[in-house]
Amino acid sequence: MKFMGHAISILRKDILLEIRGRESLSLMLFLSLLLLVIFNFALDIDIDNVSSLASGILWVIFVFSGILGMGRTSMAERDEEAYLSIVFSPVSAESFYIGKVLSNLLFLLIMECFTLLFFAILFDFEKIISLLPQLLPALFLGTLGFSLVGTLFSFLTSASRYGEVLLPFLYLPVVVPVILGGVTSMDIILNDKVGGADKWIQLLAVFDVLYFAISLILFRYIIEE
Amino acid sequence: MNIIELRDIKKQYHAKTALDGIDITVREGDSVTIFGSNGAGKTTLLKVISGIMSPTEGKVFYNNKAYSESDIKKETFYLGHKTSLYNALTVQENMHFICRLFSINHKGEFVDSILKEHGLWERRSDPVNELSHGMKRRLALAKGFIINPKVFVLDEPFTGLDLKWRASVLSKIKDLRGKGKFLILATHLVEEGYELADYVAFLHKGRFLFIRKKEEVDIKEIKEFFHSPGDDLG
Repeated sequence: MKFMGHAISILRKDILLEIRGRESLSLMLFLSLLLLVIFNFALDIDIDNVSSLASGILWVIFVFSGILGMGRTSMAERDEEAYLSIVFSPVSAESFYIGKVLSNLLFLLIMECFTLLFFAILFDFEKIISLLPQLLPALFLGTLGFSLVGTLFSFLTSASRYGEVLLPFLYLPVVVPVILGGVTSMDIILNDKVGGADKWIQLLAVFDVLYFAISLILFRYIIEE
Repeated sequence: MNIIELRDIKKQYHAKTALDGIDITVREGDSVTIFGSNGAGKTTLLKVISGIMSPTEGKVFYNNKAYSESDIKKETFYLGHKTSLYNALTVQENMHFICRLFSINHKGEFVDSILKEHGLWERRSDPVNELSHGMKRRLALAKGFIINPKVFVLDEPFTGLDLKWRASVLSKIKDLRGKGKFLILATHLVEEGYELADYVAFLHKGRFLFIRKKEEVDIKEIKEFFHSPGDDLG
């Protein structure tokens, strides 16, 4: 009970930090909007090809905005070594990790909802909203995996002066299966392709479990040195 | 009696040796002041003691158990050069967060009284990044008094404090003595450090020049060590 209580306290603190500092979610929302506008000009998107391009465009936006946001939440912990107040407390490293995963997950999901909504408006693609219930499992599991590994790597790289530059280089190769699963399953659902989405969603779930187990073990070592 | 022991601690940063064969035993209720010039290795030593940093060689023990694996780490208050506060949160929000982590009731009088004692009550609704350096240090210290842990590891606790608050903090830390706490602090302020100590140590180039009972060391002797050219020491 205390385990989750501590994680929730960290989540609450991160929400409060976001409300006060507007350093993570606000930046993610701004970048995602900017990327949508860039894609709008860069690609010749019309009613015929929007559904085949949507999943790729959306995941590129999720990935880059997500990396930016997760980097910021970790930097907030490193700033003034604030995370030491958690390290020197009864909070276990595992609770700390889960608290950070939850806050990153929450911010990512908000950013994704925002992006989906603006994508639908900008490209006149209401179908994506109507298919949201079917897209939700892939979106959630993909984002969860993204957050599970991102929390670990962003905390690891934030110790370095070049942390925000290093993060994508170290993180993206590891998270490829999640991105692949997210893009493919979303593409199958949006383009009414027969079968296959379930397999990718199962694969996402398996990777989430793997990433969770490994990150939970490794996080302790990252905060201790 | 509980003890914290450092056995043959060495710490290397690439080619530079920060700590070179440190042995020290601190007993429950003891207050140890570590003096030393800039770059002597005081901060590194305190980070190793508190488990933030692993030594290159040697180990830190709490009652013969590795410090980092013992529960005592969760009863350690470490005040480093940085404040370990969330700059965007207000004074009160920082305190409430700490209280939640330690399951302390933050709605009662207790937290308010600590803030009043440290002269921060009037600024309780201000974000930490709007406070002066001295106020931030006081707030960081106030956190220690809220938690009231068994081990206090304080790195230059008087930095940035004016004379009034230096005296106030000194008396508060002094009150901790004799309450069964471990008090390990590093400072280059000789009078304050000496007043708080049961044991006095002088660190130079990563080695202890001496560790003695306070009664066995004259305050003038410590001051002379500070004024000696580096090569004359050790």
